[in-house]
Amino acid sequence: MALIELKDISKTYNTTAVPVNALKDINITFEKQEFTAIVGPSGSGKTTMLNILGGLDKPTNGTVIIDNNDITKMKPGNLVDFRLNKIGFVFQAYNLIPVLTALENVEFIMLLQKVSKKERREQAENLLQDVGLGDRMDNRPSQLSGGQQQRVAVARALASKPAFVLADEPTANLDSKSAESLLDMMEEMNKKHNMTFIFSTHDARVIKRARRVVTLEDGMVKEDKINK
Amino acid sequence: MLTQLAWKNIWRNKKRSLVIILAIMLGLWGGLFSGAIMMGMAESMVDSAIDRYLGHVEIHSKKFKDDVQITNYIKDVKAVENAINAQDSIAGYSKRTILEGMAASAASSFGVKIVGIDRVAEKSVSRLYQKIVDGDYFDTQKRNQVIIGKKLADRLNLKLRSKIILTFQDVHGEIIYLACRITGIFKTESSVFDETNVFLRQVDLMRSLHQTETLIHEIAIRVKSAKYVPVVEQNLASALPGLAVETWEKMAPELAFVSSSMEAFTYLFVAIILFALLFGITNNMLMSVVERIRELGILTAVGMKKSRVFFMILLETIFLSMTGGILGMTVGGFFIGFFNSAGIDLSAFATGLESFGSASMLYPFLPASMYIGLTIMILFAANIAALLPAWKATHLTPAEAIRTY
Ligand SMILES: Nc1ncnc2c1ncn2[C@@H]1O[C@H](COP(=O)(O)OP(=O)(O)O)[C@@H](O)[C@H]1O
Ligand SMILES: [Mg+2]
Repeated sequence: MALIELKDISKTYNTTAVPVNALKDINITFEKQEFTAIVGPSGSGKTTMLNILGGLDKPTNGTVIIDNNDITKMKPGNLVDFRLNKIGFVFQAYNLIPVLTALENVEFIMLLQKVSKKERREQAENLLQDVGLGDRMDNRPSQLSGGQQQRVAVARALASKPAFVLADEPTANLDSKSAESLLDMMEEMNKKHNMTFIFSTHDARVIKRARRVVTLEDGMVKEDKINK
Repeated sequence: MLTQLAWKNIWRNKKRSLVIILAIMLGLWGGLFSGAIMMGMAESMVDSAIDRYLGHVEIHSKKFKDDVQITNYIKDVKAVENAINAQDSIAGYSKRTILEGMAASAASSFGVKIVGIDRVAEKSVSRLYQKIVDGDYFDTQKRNQVIIGKKLADRLNLKLRSKIILTFQDVHGEIIYLACRITGIFKTESSVFDETNVFLRQVDLMRSLHQTETLIHEIAIRVKSAKYVPVVEQNLASALPGLAVETWEKMAPELAFVSSSMEAFTYLFVAIILFALLFGITNNMLMSVVERIRELGILTAVGMKKSRVFFMILLETIFLSMTGGILGMTVGGFFIGFFNSAGIDLSAFATGLESFGSASMLYPFLPASMYIGLTIMILFAANIAALLPAWKATHLTPAEAIRTY
């Protein structure tokens, strides 16, 4: 049983003068513990696909099954809870709440899950240690580098103990050295916590690091291969 | 944590938040101070009316209430005095003779209320003796002395030691002319009172009426503190069922109305100010939400429920408003407190105030309950101000809010 299954997914944006077919009849599955890159040129539909995968947007057609739940049929209120408990999110930039420290940012997601204060604190500290920010816990996002901020974002994504983590171009705003080390860290988390990572990118060096690479072009899956 | 977050969020744009907090503070300060002045004025009007003549509780015969006639006197004065003496919060009482009549000089005449008093007893109720601006307060023993108001003296072209003719009816309806000498002129806060009241010794009045027994039409009572008024009125009313026992509020309903409506006016005043501030607060919060659309989108995306986002924005609005509100109430409170003990000298405008019957020294005050009422009003305003921004914050599509092209 696949962790995630996209069935006949298509997405058409009608907000523009000419409707845009961002995704065309996508059928794909993702398994537990995958470390997968969604790649493709700008405008190929990566973000659209991740948004639909993460329940942030509804497809025009088709169904999304996660852990046996059809999220396309969920009520908005239930969907928020589903995202909170099942999916970790890392976005391209500005992931964090600027007025909270790194530690508080990681704790916040567990607060939403109503985890007790003590457990919250402990878990957040452990995760920040894991992502290599044990000494920066009390810094605010503005006092951290772009790479460090993304590490906090990954720690937050993991804090909710999700079924998988979605990261839309997590390295797009980073220099290549920070990008490399963020990928190192994500790979480590993938192994250490058996966590599924699905991330989009158009950076060749990042693509190399993925175990599976799904290439999109023009809203369709052009290639789906396993990296050696 | 949500509370802390909300508090931190309002300080993200310090300048903008401070401006709105300052606006709320100044608005409330001004509103409260104006309210306190109105309340102080109302209290001063009430106090001067009580001090001048009214007293706290007055007793008349029921007939006298309908028809101010010499024959409608209180039949059993002794019983009234016994009932009064049974109360322990009485500061003093005065038995007055009231006659409707005319005061005439060589120049002209004017309709007046002729009040016969006992010099000492009256002192324990009214402060008329402190209002003498010329002459004295029945300090000599000469017969037929009269004390009149400055306004009446001017009107009738009379001075101290002038002769004045008082005309009134006796119990048989016969007209009595009484020639008196003016030995005192008073000036109170109320020019109407000064124009229409003249005071005589009760003995002189009874002699002219050929009465052996003193006719009492009115018994005015001063209690030790205003808070005893309702109790005293109740006790006396049940002890003296045949008589009309009334508090100053019933005697002078217009005064009672002014005093009670000032509080309502102050609320209205502050409500209008808050209403104006509401737009500022809403605008401020809207800007703050629009600036954070991306962040709010991310929070919704990672699993923050609409209700929590709504609550956060509401908390921010409440914090912002209450910070300004508490500052405004504190500064306003100090200001009011200071002028309450120092007083504000309004003698420059005193002529205008006289027609209102208010003293020239003003002591602004605001009842403590008002601060509670205001806090509730500010909270209410904050809730309304938060509606639009919070609606905006909860009706965003995360995919749209987060999208970076
Ligand atoms: N909200 C939208 N309204 C209209 N068109 C959109 C919207 N979002 C994306 N698109 C279009 O859909 C296509 C896919 O976009 P996107 O998923 O962002 O691609 P990628 O992330 O690979 O760059 C593009 O042509 C883009 O212009
Ligand atoms: Mg994209």
